[in-house]
Amino acid sequence: MILGLLLFTAVLLFIVLSGYKAYRYARMPLHGRMELYPVPAEKGRHQYGGSYMEEPEWWRKPRQTSKTSELIEMLKEMLFIKKLFQHQRSLWWISYAFHLGIYFMIAWTLLLLAGALTDLAGISVSAHASLWTGLLYYLTIFTGVVGFIITTAGAALLLLRRVADPVLKKYTTPQEYFNLLLLLAVLLSGIIVWSPDLTFEASRQLTAGVLLLDVTANTALTIHLLLLAVMFIYIPLSKMGHYVGKYFSFHKVLWENEPNVPGSLMESRVKSSLSSHISNGGKAADR
Amino acid sequence: MMQGKDLRPRDLGRPDEQLIQLDHIMPLHSPYDQPGMEPDLQSVKPEWREKYCMSLDGCAAIDTFPRPANEQEEKEWIEKFLKGLEKAVSESNGGVLQPLQLSMEYCAKCNTCSDACHIYKASGDNELYRPIFRSDVFRKIYNKYFHRGSKLYQKFTGADIDVNWETIARLGELSYRCNLCRRCAQTCPLGLDNSLFAKEIRKIFSQEMGIAPTALHEKGTMLQLKTGSSTGIGKAAFLDMVEFLEEDIEDRIGRSVKIPIDKEGADILLIHNAGEFVAWPENPAAFAILLDEAGVDWTLSSEVMGYDSVNYGIWYDDTQAKRIAQQQMDAARKLGVKRIVIGECGHAHKAAGITADRYSWGDDKIPVESFIPIMWDLVRSKRLQFDPQKNNFPVTLHDPCNMVRQMGIVQPQREILKVIAPQFREMTPHGTDNYCCGGGSGFAIINGPNFAQFRNKVSARMKFDQILNAFSDTITESLVPKYVCAPCSNCKGTIRGILEHYQATERFNVQYGGLVELMVNALTSIDKPYLEFLNE
Repeated sequence: MILGLLLFTAVLLFIVLSGYKAYRYARMPLHGRMELYPVPAEKGRHQYGGSYMEEPEWWRKPRQTSKTSELIEMLKEMLFIKKLFQHQRSLWWISYAFHLGIYFMIAWTLLLLAGALTDLAGISVSAHASLWTGLLYYLTIFTGVVGFIITTAGAALLLLRRVADPVLKKYTTPQEYFNLLLLLAVLLSGIIVWSPDLTFEASRQLTAGVLLLDVTANTALTIHLLLLAVMFIYIPLSKMGHYVGKYFSFHKVLWENEPNVPGSLMESRVKSSLSSHISNGGKAADR
Repeated sequence: MMQGKDLRPRDLGRPDEQLIQLDHIMPLHSPYDQPGMEPDLQSVKPEWREKYCMSLDGCAAIDTFPRPANEQEEKEWIEKFLKGLEKAVSESNGGVLQPLQLSMEYCAKCNTCSDACHIYKASGDNELYRPIFRSDVFRKIYNKYFHRGSKLYQKFTGADIDVNWETIARLGELSYRCNLCRRCAQTCPLGLDNSLFAKEIRKIFSQEMGIAPTALHEKGTMLQLKTGSSTGIGKAAFLDMVEFLEEDIEDRIGRSVKIPIDKEGADILLIHNAGEFVAWPENPAAFAILLDEAGVDWTLSSEVMGYDSVNYGIWYDDTQAKRIAQQQMDAARKLGVKRIVIGECGHAHKAAGITADRYSWGDDKIPVESFIPIMWDLVRSKRLQFDPQKNNFPVTLHDPCNMVRQMGIVQPQREILKVIAPQFREMTPHGTDNYCCGGGSGFAIINGPNFAQFRNKVSARMKFDQILNAFSDTITESLVPKYVCAPCSNCKGTIRGILEHYQATERFNVQYGGLVELMVNALTSIDKPYLEFLNE
């Protein structure tokens, strides 16, 4: 019961704290324009880094933007970490393994959830009962095995690189080592607990137990679940919560090139920002 | 003195006479790969050490920060700095808070940004210039003084730095070892921006401590607010210069061109970097020739703050930036023009077109645009006729960061060059990936006791190497003129400096200038070459 509640609370806190972080960033004052080109929403110009300002009297012409282009670029960043791939390939292999592994782990968790609900509905998840249970059965195995392997290998290699590379080592704080060690602890304890049964039937049963708030756990499982709960609560409080930050740094800073033209939404934001703006410093103004 | 590779952010306050030595700078390509092709670094004079903070790398950009006479003074400087730091990361710094906070919080220290930085690479990968070095010092100081928690927690978060006068003075200097070109931000997998830290340190120094390089503040912003121009040109002198330009145009091309001044209700108010009138009058003259020939309805303004587009405030002080931008806008409004067009000045493009875009709204605002799309419009509509054979020599294009990476004006200037310059070739890399000239964010005009040396040998080194590569097919053929087209005053000033420093004009006939001069040189309506080096 307690473990089940703890996991529920941890996941809830993960969502609430991530949301709060996003809320805090969203509530910050309107900042000055800081776009950097290429800006993907620039229709027809994005490929070479152009903007609407290439047009004479651009403010008289309708803005040509493409949400699809922005979405594609966003997906390239989210799914493939494009910038790291382009600019630091050696680190990308490790980082990508780790991040792809996380996506697999998320998929595995969702499949466990679907399997647990299927079980609770009285349909046993097995290889051959039906297409649905067969899919759940095999996909859970695939995502779980691949997820655990590449996430753990990625996290371990990221840690190793940080220790072995003199430049990274110089800039890494104890907290940043802690972040990787915490993830590794969760992953390794998970491997210890779940690896004896690679069909993940026990994991599915546990998920069903969590849903019913009825979890029985041995010492190893208890340690794993406690670490998992700590990780869920800690991630949004640390820089590992960069899934929030990255949205703002790309969409609200680097790719935000909305001009302040009469009648626009930006104009009303500027208007309200200027009326509430607190001036910074100003000692230099008259010196 | 430390070996660059051993240097750590927490060492910034060490009592060494000088933290690092610039002794392994990046080698240049042929023909500058031979010994004796460039002057050596000059040693630091003892009197400079008394007067300036030379203890970072033996160069000084800030010439107004006195060494404290006693402990009390040192304490006061530290307090002012910390107060400014606290403000920088607060709501009162709303214009930058969100991007700054993101960069404070989420840097993964993956070090992807280092290879993007021309200063770091040109220094021979010296640790001091690594983009995250400066940011990490900033973060450590902030975490140490403004994050609640025990000493153990501070150690956990890496807040392991001691703050003394040396730390602050060196950090101030270090903020002037970044051109604010934002090339590093373009490569960051998390979309973060190390240049923000450099800019914020400069702001703390100016806005809280009253310290800024003389060239930027006293002889820049203050002079501009007082006389109308950072060159010190007042209204009367400006009008004389315009008269001189008209005579000069007649001498050069045998045609009388009337330069419109203070024409109320004109379509275009053209604002130049006033430095052009002093250093490169052929540039505003070329604008006048082109606009006159195309029959454009335009004017210059003689109103104080209406004839100099510069705004140094965007490099070091938001308060000053806003004052200047608003007064420039006022001057345009008085004239009742329909739009403001910025001439060949990159930072003025950004200041008026981007930074000031959110300074005002409604009727207070007159639309601002770059001269480049207008020129391309005149070319493609054939309102100007060219004979490209007049420019039949190698031409390469420098992309000013402010216009290109930070405004997305990439293609029109290339389209113009394709029409007027048959031997046009790109630099590598170019467009939004191009390297800064090395003079960005004030470097072009800061000289300090020996800052020109840092500019020529380090910050502009990558640009010089790019120029050598772009002309590698003819670089040793001194009879072939080679033209670096740099449509920005600061970039032009920097390129002038490196061509002199490396004697590249004298030895290899590498010339430089703007875009409009090259356009005028190719006009079919003009018989004589407009570019002076073609007459020599």
